[in-house]
Amino acid sequence: MSDVISGPRSGLGRRGFLFGGAAVGATLLAAGCTSNDSGNDSPETNTKAVGGDNAAKGTQVTIGFSAPQADHGWIGAIAKNAEAQAKTFEDVTFEPVEPTNDVAAQIAAIETLITKKVGVLVVLPNDGKQLTAVASKAMAAGIPVVNLDRVFDSPLAYRTWIGGDNYGMGVSAGNFIAEQLKGKSNPVIAEIAGIDSLPLTQDRSRGFKDALARAGFKVTNRVAAEFTVASGQQVTSNLLQAAPKIDAVWNHDDDQGLGVLAAIRQANRSEFLMVGGAGSLDAMELIKADNSVLKATVTYSPSMASSAISIARLIGQKKGFSDLVENDVPASITLSSATVTKENVDQYLKTGFRS
Amino acid sequence: MTEPLLRLSGIVKTFPGVRALDGVDLTVAPGEVHCLLGQNGAGKSTLIKVLSGAHQPDEGTIEWKGSEVRFVRPTAALNAGLATIYQELDLVDDLTVAENVFLGHEPRRFGFSSRGAARRRTRELLGRLGHAEIPPGREVGRLPAAGKQIVSMARALSHDAQLIIMDEPSAVLAHDEVENLFRVIRDLTSAGVAVIYISHRLAEIREIGDRVTILKDGRTVAVDLPAKTTPTNEVVRLMTGRNVEYVFPSRSGTPGGEPLLRVTDLGRPKEFSEVSFEVRAGEIVGLAGLVGAGRSEILETVYGARKAATGTVEIDGEPIRRGSVKAAVAAGMGLAPEERKSQALLLGEPVYRNVSLASLRRFARFGFVRRGAERAEVGAVTRSLDLRPADPRRAMRTLSGGNQQKAVVSRWLLGRTRLLLLDEPTRGVDIGARAELYALIRSLADQGVGVLMVSSEVPEVLGLADRVLVVREGRVVHEAPASDLTEAQVLDLVMAGERVTTAR
Amino acid sequence: MTDPTRTPTDPTDPAPSAQAAGMGPAPVATVPPADEQARVEAAAAEPAVEPSPFRTWLASLSEGGATRNIGLIVVLVILCIVGFATAETFATTGNIRTILTNASVIGVVTVGMTFVIIGGGIDLSVGSIVGLASVWCTTVATQSYGPFVMVLCALLVGLIVGLVNGALIAYGRLVPFIVTLGMLIGARGLAQQIAGLQTQVVKSETFNGIADGAFLGVPYLVWLLVGTFAIGWVVLNLTTFGRRTVAVGGNPEAARLAGIDIRLHTALLYGVSGLCCGLAAVMLTAQTASGSSTNGQNYELDAIAAVIIGGTLLTGGRGTLVGTFLGVLVFTLITNLFILNNLSTPVQNLAKGLIILGAVLLQRRRSESAT
Repeated sequence: MSDVISGPRSGLGRRGFLFGGAAVGATLLAAGCTSNDSGNDSPETNTKAVGGDNAAKGTQVTIGFSAPQADHGWIGAIAKNAEAQAKTFEDVTFEPVEPTNDVAAQIAAIETLITKKVGVLVVLPNDGKQLTAVASKAMAAGIPVVNLDRVFDSPLAYRTWIGGDNYGMGVSAGNFIAEQLKGKSNPVIAEIAGIDSLPLTQDRSRGFKDALARAGFKVTNRVAAEFTVASGQQVTSNLLQAAPKIDAVWNHDDDQGLGVLAAIRQANRSEFLMVGGAGSLDAMELIKADNSVLKATVTYSPSMASSAISIARLIGQKKGFSDLVENDVPASITLSSATVTKENVDQYLKTGFRS
Repeated sequence: MTEPLLRLSGIVKTFPGVRALDGVDLTVAPGEVHCLLGQNGAGKSTLIKVLSGAHQPDEGTIEWKGSEVRFVRPTAALNAGLATIYQELDLVDDLTVAENVFLGHEPRRFGFSSRGAARRRTRELLGRLGHAEIPPGREVGRLPAAGKQIVSMARALSHDAQLIIMDEPSAVLAHDEVENLFRVIRDLTSAGVAVIYISHRLAEIREIGDRVTILKDGRTVAVDLPAKTTPTNEVVRLMTGRNVEYVFPSRSGTPGGEPLLRVTDLGRPKEFSEVSFEVRAGEIVGLAGLVGAGRSEILETVYGARKAATGTVEIDGEPIRRGSVKAAVAAGMGLAPEERKSQALLLGEPVYRNVSLASLRRFARFGFVRRGAERAEVGAVTRSLDLRPADPRRAMRTLSGGNQQKAVVSRWLLGRTRLLLLDEPTRGVDIGARAELYALIRSLADQGVGVLMVSSEVPEVLGLADRVLVVREGRVVHEAPASDLTEAQVLDLVMAGERVTTAR
Repeated sequence: MTDPTRTPTDPTDPAPSAQAAGMGPAPVATVPPADEQARVEAAAAEPAVEPSPFRTWLASLSEGGATRNIGLIVVLVILCIVGFATAETFATTGNIRTILTNASVIGVVTVGMTFVIIGGGIDLSVGSIVGLASVWCTTVATQSYGPFVMVLCALLVGLIVGLVNGALIAYGRLVPFIVTLGMLIGARGLAQQIAGLQTQVVKSETFNGIADGAFLGVPYLVWLLVGTFAIGWVVLNLTTFGRRTVAVGGNPEAARLAGIDIRLHTALLYGVSGLCCGLAAVMLTAQTASGSSTNGQNYELDAIAAVIIGGTLLTGGRGTLVGTFLGVLVFTLITNLFILNNLSTPVQNLAKGLIILGAVLLQRRRSESAT
């Protein structure tokens, strides 16, 4: 970190050097404050020992892994989960490449993995469309690709796709809220979306709208934040002014949810119920404690990365799922978006991710 | 008489609060050098802006080659063949000579600007101006002032200008460069190009001019006077209502005592070396020399604005830290730099804030400026210098050149400066205000302030200073009481560097 | 060629001796009159002949910048009228409190930005400094020392990063744009590194109370906003530091030759900006009850936009905090109005862009007609 903060360069004047020196000194002093090791935190990752026939050690499989650089708790959890799951297998060699948010760099990284002739590739692309070509190339080279979450353009580009269900998230949230508000006439239902220009946000909103419509309800107020805590706080504080009385709120994303909840607390509002999205650990703990407006969250779990590693191993070992009759792994797996409430939260706590 | 190229009649231009032009007539014939005379503030600058299309006149007509025109924007005037070369040459330092000459109208080939064609035509134009030695590919910022002026003229010619307005072209030139400028002007006029020539220097007008139009208070007070034969006192009287050109205050005896400033062996590589001299309290010492001889550099190094490589600067025997303006100011020095606008003034700020800038510490209590005390003391100083307009809240840019210079001097008087360094103190200052400045500088000396001044105008140095140091090529070549020197001797020294024997 | 119908005015009419008598205490008696000066003097006196009380009052404010900001005030009034007309909750105290609270964090950042820009610089790293300070003050280790140390930590991180910017610019002689662009990227990276890309929840109720509490019915955050602007205004207009800032930004060479240590001053300006960012980080962290490396994203653009539409010259040397404050309010008000009316974000951004351009055009027209 001193690369970033340290001041002095050879060309600096005497005073400049003193300035820089002071800065470095202060950095070192303050470095004690940057520790985030609280001592008792166990790593929150979603791993699961595989049971049944597939538990036995099989042929050695090298799994290459490429994902975007984490700028968000969810993506961070994806990378951690993948690595942790891989460690549970003795017969898996895990080969992650440097995470990046640059499409070209991700393509280059995957090319390297192809050249290295890894057994199976697990890829969460920055952009499904733009990485289709390189994934197809891997498939053509005989390396099966497990496509995680953001889907490639062509089925030829992947062996198996596993991902969440954005539309389904909206449906789950809509259903839960419709159930809770049953019998009310014209309730005020607000929606706090994520970045509006993303297809996933549009899918979530569509699902929410459709599910509410089935119960005869509609979204009365809709705002969009940016998946960040600060933007969640900002738009929510205004939303609460726009609607003096609210019956229910769905917030798309538990990361920005921290800000949403802070705004609600600062406005001293509690007349409504709130549903979260994605399923962070913080959200689940709040649901469990049952002392805030947050009553439920609909999952879009990063545990899918752990599953992807398991699937990749099975593909590499040419096995199928032990509970299915099929000899091979299915071509597509869509996770269902579960509704986590106080009643079932204990069951999901372990899949909750740190936001 | 031939058909006039340009005829202005009854031009009026008002700005909020000021009637800048109040009925100006001007006729310019093809191939003549028409001189425009007038004190600063008489309306010359505004008239130039009206001619060049930067301002629109409120009343009056402009006829160009016999038909009435309106130059709604500067390019319109330029395209019609009327180019202006401003005092602050408006060239882009980072572009090459050729790029500057063809800025905005680059020669094109197949839609691409053709660098080769631009350079070739620039070379032709420079050749026509007698300066084929200027390389078209050189960055303009690396040319001397005279070279930049030639580039400006080449730019004007590139627009096929038939009338070129030159605003104080000689102000940035040394003596021999002025001669060269005149040669260029003569070449231009013999080719039928007319020149409107603006200068404060009567001698130049005599030499180059054909006819003279005099502006005063925004009006033409005399038109088409013969430039060579109109008596000087007549011209000065028309401009000012007075009969003298320069008035130098009388000297009040050579001050004695210990030196206030002692400079020993001062030097900077490639600029000057082995410069040693002294200035006593109450004494005015002048540095004479050509532009580029190192005069300004010496002044700025004494002040710490440039860091000395060798030598010492002492005030009252105490050495001043090298390269520290702050230390120099703390020791009682103050500099009125050559380029007032770019080096000394905050043009958008009120006068009083400009004046108090160097003495803020004195008006500060716990970091807060005591505004009452500040205004009162600034007011006292500016009143004593008769700075006009008297309202210290006026923005600095609204002041005339002479008053801006007074504001700079006020700054240092307020700072209780004991040694005033003046670089070209009367540049851009009109004759009336000059005399006033001379008187002011002398009275400061009489009050015990030491003055070290640099001037390109030899009569000014000889008339004002007690002692003169002649600088040539970075060395002090001669030192003598001003009364022992004549203008011719100084010019000789400045140019040839040969020692003349003077009775000591 | 002389037009025979127009005789030049008689040049002999001024009476030199009479004028010289009225010239005031010129040091030497031989000073000739400069009637040009008398003319300028007369011209200068003219507008003062019949000043209406209203104009005088306006002029007395103009040093504080109010008249320069007529354009912005008009925009604000229009926005308020739109608010009254379209949203019934617009004029409630709750909503006004929300608007001001929303303006508070970015507002504090713009105070420092105004100083830097008036001083002839630019600080692109403000958002990242807010993010870094927010993360640094909410690590498990920092939180263990309690809320006071958390606040101190954020302020110190802001100040030091700002001073590093300033030292590199002033003493390293690097371009502000480049240095702060580097810091924009680097500080954000450091924040991500420290936070491990996670959101750090603030456990201290006292700390979060900075955002939740109120004094005399006005939230602490709004007090901090108003307080920062007030201190900034006092420093800019009444202190030597403010005077030097204007001088350094308006004409650095003149400031240097007047004996001002422009390098030290420049470094300090970036320190001021960093300190403001540190305070903003405290406020934002309390407001969101969490530290995150995403905090303060895009603040540099919002802050620069607010400062510029507030009438501060991007080239330095002139600017007002009153204008900046109005600029921040305009932006916050637009966001509020759009959400109150349930309108979408793309249109909102379009409106903000148009208002930036419109306000700048208005300011420009005014400043042109004024000179």
